Amino acid sequence: MRKRRLGREAREASAPRPDLDLFGAPAVDARPTASRAAARVKELRTPYDELGDTFPGATPMSAVSVGTVTQTARDILEGAFMPLWVRGEISDFKAHRSGHWYFCLRDHSAQLRCVVWSRDRRLIPAPPDDGMQVAALGQLSVYPTRGEMQFAVRRIEAEGDGLWRKALELTRARLAADGLLSAERKRALPRYPRCIAVVTSPDGAALHDIAAVVHRRAPHVRLVLAAAAVQGETAPQELCYALDQLSRWGVADAVIIGRGGGAREDLRAFNDERVARAVARCPVPTISAVGHEIDVSICDLVADHRAPTPSAAAEAAVRATEELAAELRSHWRRLADALAARIEGAHGQLHRIAADLASASRFTLAQRQSLVRDAAARLHALSPLATLARGYAIAQSAEGATLASVDDFEPGTTFTLRLHDGSVRSTALTKFPGPSSLGP
Amino acid sequence: MSFEHRLQRLEEIVRELEGNQVELARALELFEEGIECLRAASTELASAEARVQRLVERDDGGFELTDLRG
Repeated sequence: MRKRRLGREAREASAPRPDLDLFGAPAVDARPTASRAAARVKELRTPYDELGDTFPGATPMSAVSVGTVTQTARDILEGAFMPLWVRGEISDFKAHRSGHWYFCLRDHSAQLRCVVWSRDRRLIPAPPDDGMQVAALGQLSVYPTRGEMQFAVRRIEAEGDGLWRKALELTRARLAADGLLSAERKRALPRYPRCIAVVTSPDGAALHDIAAVVHRRAPHVRLVLAAAAVQGETAPQELCYALDQLSRWGVADAVIIGRGGGAREDLRAFNDERVARAVARCPVPTISAVGHEIDVSICDLVADHRAPTPSAAAEAAVRATEELAAELRSHWRRLADALAARIEGAHGQLHRIAADLASASRFTLAQRQSLVRDAAARLHALSPLATLARGYAIAQSAEGATLASVDDFEPGTTFTLRLHDGSVRSTALTKFPGPSSLGP
Repeated sequence: MSFEHRLQRLEEIVRELEGNQVELARALELFEEGIECLRAASTELASAEARVQRLVERDDGGFELTDLRG
């Protein structure tokens, strides 16, 4: 193993210090008189006499302090060992309230005391369980305060992705406890979306697939991308930020969040708790489309809808134009039928009125005839569209009001005659009040 | 008016027309309004976007859309 550059402590250690002075005199001045001095020195000399007083710790006089020796041991260990992966079984795991984790890595013959400092925890998906078989990356060192060799761990990987699965379970439990996974929360997709937003990578296949489906199926719908990385360390923050932007923009009617297929570790951002909570907060319905093989991602669970692929998400998000056009056609039929029924209704009413009037015996024949003609005239006037086809015309003013009485006309003014196949701008010449105006 | 609102208005128009008491002049008015709703809704369905836009946030907190690709 290569030696590393000495750390700060080691450099301090090499500054001049009396008890470590390699070339100076012993700490105690033992020269009162020459003979007594010589005798005294003889008593004090240790078996290291041959080495002389040149090494710190060679004699009681040049004994080094506990702190010095432990710190030096630390420097030597840290210099001699690069960070390395060590394999073993977790035991005695304790999450201290300071935020640091302490545990042992054991095998059949030895153990190594380990620590994960709280600042290093963010890259470890979940705290390991006792008994887990792991590989841990760390720096071997000495912890002077406890005089122990210590392995400062920064990464742990458990067999079969055990830590990632544990992290996923912990996240799922927390979200479920907050009610974010319940079926009652799921919102229906909008029936007439005008704008669909997509949270995904701008270069990925997902966006391409979604665009292809929407443009084919419902080209009148707008597609807007809120770009975010879908894998890597920055992906969770970018996904959260994109979702936040969309909710502040407030125009999208629904959001598709997803990516194409990939290796398990590439899909991890969609199991991130922050991303899940951002999806849950989205003010419009969400569809999660995370390409995966067997496992369901946390994002899938918290979204309002889940689609197996981005294309399927797009199909769910937009109803085909043909379907909407059929809705419009059925509205048109109902409108036309309602109007025709209204006209028929008027017809029927007036026929009955006319019949009643004509059969009233107190009227003379002439009066009956004129009443019938009156009723007939009103009948005709009141059923414009059905009657138009039989050759009658409706007179309308410039403002479109129906002119139904002789009193509505002024000689010299213009009006419009509406026939079944068009209209005629006309001028009133003379008016002849009275039923005899019905003609020859 | 959004597509959805137009359909809602159509529904109201048809229900009013289907009721017995509407005066014929009013019936014609309603009919014309209904035709207009249908025409506008059809036009909207017929429009084709055929592109993807990208949402970009400006420093002042506003948003704009840039064309991505067809």
